[in-house]
Amino acid sequence: MVYWILIQKSFMTNLQYKVAHLINNAASAIFGFVFIAIWAGVLQGKEQSSPYDVMDMTYYIAASQCILWLSGFLTAGLNIQNGVRNGAISFELARPSNFFLYVTSQEAGRLVYNFFFRSVPIGLVFALTVGFYVPQHFSSYLFICISVLLAIIISINLHYLVGISACWTTEVAWAHFVNFTLLAGLGGQMVPIDFLPAPLSTLTQYLPFAGAIYYPVMVFLEKASNDVIWIQLFWALVLTLLNLWITERARQKLEIQGG
Amino acid sequence: MNLYLKLLSGSLRSRMQYKMNFLVSSLSYGLIMAVDFVLLAAILQRFNDVKGWNLYEVGLLYGISSVAITLYRVFGVEIHNFERYMVEGEFDSLLIRPVSPLSLLLTKNLDLSRIGGTAQGVIILVISIIGLSLDSFDMFLLLLYLPISIASGVVICFSLGLLTATFAFWTQRIKDFQTFTLYAPFNAANYPMNIYPGWLKIIFFTVIPVGFMNYTPILFLLDKGGSIWNLAWPPAVALGFLFLSLRFWHFGIRHYHSTGS
Repeated sequence: MVYWILIQKSFMTNLQYKVAHLINNAASAIFGFVFIAIWAGVLQGKEQSSPYDVMDMTYYIAASQCILWLSGFLTAGLNIQNGVRNGAISFELARPSNFFLYVTSQEAGRLVYNFFFRSVPIGLVFALTVGFYVPQHFSSYLFICISVLLAIIISINLHYLVGISACWTTEVAWAHFVNFTLLAGLGGQMVPIDFLPAPLSTLTQYLPFAGAIYYPVMVFLEKASNDVIWIQLFWALVLTLLNLWITERARQKLEIQGG
Repeated sequence: MNLYLKLLSGSLRSRMQYKMNFLVSSLSYGLIMAVDFVLLAAILQRFNDVKGWNLYEVGLLYGISSVAITLYRVFGVEIHNFERYMVEGEFDSLLIRPVSPLSLLLTKNLDLSRIGGTAQGVIILVISIIGLSLDSFDMFLLLLYLPISIASGVVICFSLGLLTATFAFWTQRIKDFQTFTLYAPFNAANYPMNIYPGWLKIIFFTVIPVGFMNYTPILFLLDKGGSIWNLAWPPAVALGFLFLSLRFWHFGIRHYHSTGS
């Protein structure tokens, strides 16, 4: 299966940089410590007026710093824009393989790598210092796997959407910036979305961004009903279908200059 | 200096060839940083303060730190992206010019898209200063000192950037170090240092001295502690740190070996 090979190859490519990534993990953990310190400072003496206490927030931030490497820090535009710039996209779209799967399986390989060399080491750092939540119920582990998988699918799709837009705009840097900001800000990377001011806290629950970070973290912490997975599933399906349709439009727009 | 201005204006004009792109990218970069602050405001609106610092007080720290790092990103773009010179072997071409490599790097390019971030930092500063409603003498002192604090922050940031860039002489790639030496510390400096555990505080007041740029002077200016000496620390630390980083940079250049390819 060609896509499985792509996942493996992308995993191997990333292995080449593992030392640099391990240094970067230390910085990622420091970001986590900073966020935890802010929450500890904010909640000090005010825990009774908050739905979460300091320990809850420590677990929340620790888990979200790990999940960020699976559904937050993806390749900008999944590199589709490079193909648009140098013209390689015309060959890639003309290949008999599915372009959407071709691009996304490469990113998936990178994310598998991220799990072992980013998420797990960062989680270990937190476990050894401030603490890391261990889900208590056996059945939770199944739901966690489903939720994280759907989070990855949602995020890959959001990044693909940014990348494929290059077929019309050629420049995706700003679109990536906006996408990432929404993902981190409305996805609950630092602030659980139920803490956001009134209309926003309700609205964000139904946006895809929450499905990428907030829901998997809450499912992991066993604080959300497992029904949130339906919201994630909805967005995973909608975004995938949207991207397949847009890819088809891009293929039609493509002009191959004969030589 | 004359040469510097000439080189800068050249770079500015070349950037302005793509006005739309410039506008959109500055706006989106400013937006990202604004969202961060809006989230903080949401938390503090609900919980009033973080260890005795209210939103406007944190806003002062936040504004100084973001203006400092974004100004560095505007003017120090080639230092920031220095690994390119090592990886692609372009550094040789800088060594054979009659001007020092550092001044060449500083004048070669400007990243104006980061100006959006600076503007956003200034807006946060203005909102915070108005919100603080200080009496006129304290306000006067704060406004007088703010440029010194920001300048010290830019110098500290530039020095950290240069130190990190110098590592490239040995390690080639530095992108992953920058998260550690620049992004994480400046993110931490957006908030008051007293919220951090001891070991982090030690780091931010020694090897990565970001705590000096805003926390130390603001502590005194807002009557939260310290003495008048708190105002002397930022420029002193900034200049000392700049000196060290320049020495290290020259040490790095002496040990530079071209790839020869």
